[in-house]
Amino acid sequence: MEDQEILLKFQDPAARNVAFNQLVRKYQQKVYWHVRKMVVDHNDADDLTQDTFVKVWKHLGNFRQDASLYTWIYRIATNECLSFLQSKRRKFFLPLNDVGAELAAKIEADPLLAGDEIERKLQKAILRLPDKQRLVFNLKYYDEMTYEQMADVTGTSVGALKASYHHAVKKIEQYVTEESSAD
Amino acid sequence: MHMKTPFRLDDHPRRPQPPLASPPAGYFDQLPRQIMARVQPEAAHESVTWGWLATLSRPLRTALASVVVLGGFSTAFYLSQPATQTPNLPPATALAAVPEAALIDYLAVNNQLETEDLASLPLPDDNLMAYFLQASPQELEAALGPAPLDEAYY
Repeated sequence: MEDQEILLKFQDPAARNVAFNQLVRKYQQKVYWHVRKMVVDHNDADDLTQDTFVKVWKHLGNFRQDASLYTWIYRIATNECLSFLQSKRRKFFLPLNDVGAELAAKIEADPLLAGDEIERKLQKAILRLPDKQRLVFNLKYYDEMTYEQMADVTGTSVGALKASYHHAVKKIEQYVTEESSAD
Repeated sequence: MHMKTPFRLDDHPRRPQPPLASPPAGYFDQLPRQIMARVQPEAAHESVTWGWLATLSRPLRTALASVVVLGGFSTAFYLSQPATQTPNLPPATALAAVPEAALIDYLAVNNQLETEDLASLPLPDDNLMAYFLQASPQELEAALGPAPLDEAYY
């Protein structure tokens, strides 16, 4: 079902639940994986995915269609992730690097990465990026969004996003190279 | 010393997702139900509290909002007025309406005249008194008797 049709049905109180159910089914995997890449842990990703859709429900009536529904939902999910990571740091008084190290440790223990040394280093390098830079990297590298779409999601200019992605790639390449040299 | 080739991201095979463990089996079948269960209480609450608003047409809702706002202003204005207002009556009528007991009570408490009040009183006017009494000097003398001797010598 097209986004436009979902939005139209959502305006009708009698069809609202059906429309929202269709919206969730359409976007749940994208939202879940977007969140999961940011927080790594499945349980955290589950909570944040649900919170995202609850917020979508609350605010969908006010959605003005300045952006596409897809990027609007991504934006809500992104804000949820960033708030979660920020509150996690505040709660445990953790500096920036420690959260990255904690997430990297989860990757280290993942059996899927056993035997793929370069991929493991790449994932660790990504998780060591600052949250917003990691977000930019994920949107571009994994979700293959255009910079314009990324600008809608993050509320940042295209130029700043290009610079951020470029820096992220340089940092990742440097980290993986150094880690490989140390072996 | 062995120098390794610098890592280049473009040369690395791109994956659609990072290699994270998949969510539990059937997770995406259950997720919509869980989300709907979370939004349903809110939906029910919304429909009970404000649902009737949705049934109204847009102009009617606008009119209703205007009435509510105007009502709010009127109530605020009414409440900001003094609690009792004195009716606009002539002083004599207004005074006649005051019970005698209340007047006595008032005077018992507020009957002290200040020096200023006395000073501003008009001096006695003989003509005014004669006009008021409508009596000749002879009639007055007959009524009052001769003037006391001690006063006559002053």
